[in-house]
Amino acid sequence: MDAYFYIILVVGLLSTLLCVGAGILKKAPNDATILSVAAVELSLLVYLVGSIVRVASGERIAGEPWEFWGYLVTALMLPVGAVYWAILERTRWSNFVLAAVGVTALVMAARMNQIWY
Amino acid sequence: MTASQQDTGGDAGTAGGTSAGTPTETAAGQPTETATGAARQASKDTRNTGPGRLLIAVYAVFALSATARAGYQIVTKFSEAPLAYLLSAFAAVVYIVATVSLAKAGRTWFKVSVTAVLVELIGVLVVGALSLFDAVNFPHETVWSLFGRGYGFIPLLLPILGLIWLYRRRPAPKRA
Repeated sequence: MDAYFYIILVVGLLSTLLCVGAGILKKAPNDATILSVAAVELSLLVYLVGSIVRVASGERIAGEPWEFWGYLVTALMLPVGAVYWAILERTRWSNFVLAAVGVTALVMAARMNQIWY
Repeated sequence: MTASQQDTGGDAGTAGGTSAGTPTETAAGQPTETATGAARQASKDTRNTGPGRLLIAVYAVFALSATARAGYQIVTKFSEAPLAYLLSAFAAVVYIVATVSLAKAGRTWFKVSVTAVLVELIGVLVVGALSLFDAVNFPHETVWSLFGRGYGFIPLLLPILGLIWLYRRRPAPKRA
């Protein structure tokens, strides 16, 4: 597990906790929950840029490269889709949808780490 | 959910299409429209608002990951365990059908949802039991193996929650 994973672990967990909390408190998606999901997207982008740099500088992915990139690209699409959906229906339930992004991202980051090393 | 729902049949309402700005009964704390607006929403034969959205989102994630996993298994190592990988592919199809049908409005899609979710429940129970009692011969490489333990038992929980949701949002009986 490298730093990229731990960044996503922390950001993802915080985002999930925040969104679940907001959902339990019957709040609609607000700046805080949407920004927390945006932070997950940002940390995934950092992972993407970092990985491109590492591959470009000659590091090799131990597992299947296309599997790794597949996971990363899919993970990058999740926050965007969830936020889009949260804007379409602004109820407390959309906060639970947003909450799912954080945990999903961290599970996928764990898998990406396994593939890389 | 009361029995006062009217059957609006094939009322158009794809995922998200009906929901922009319309309140649901769960929109507590949200500025809501008039009572007639709420009644109109309740009368629609849809399952894609409120908790249903979360359900669809989780189904979509599973559809995506199961499809990717099954595709990967079949392309790279199909001959190792054809049965398990075909099961993976089957699970993926079930998740896709469940996701799409839950997002659609109307009586027919409701029936499709019920079928897909029931197949999913039976699948996770049968495959889970087989992988448990015949662990040697049954490869542990499907979403449903060991009742979905590799996925935090969500595959076991999902069809149960799905059936509860479908029951709560069942279409009203046809009027004579």
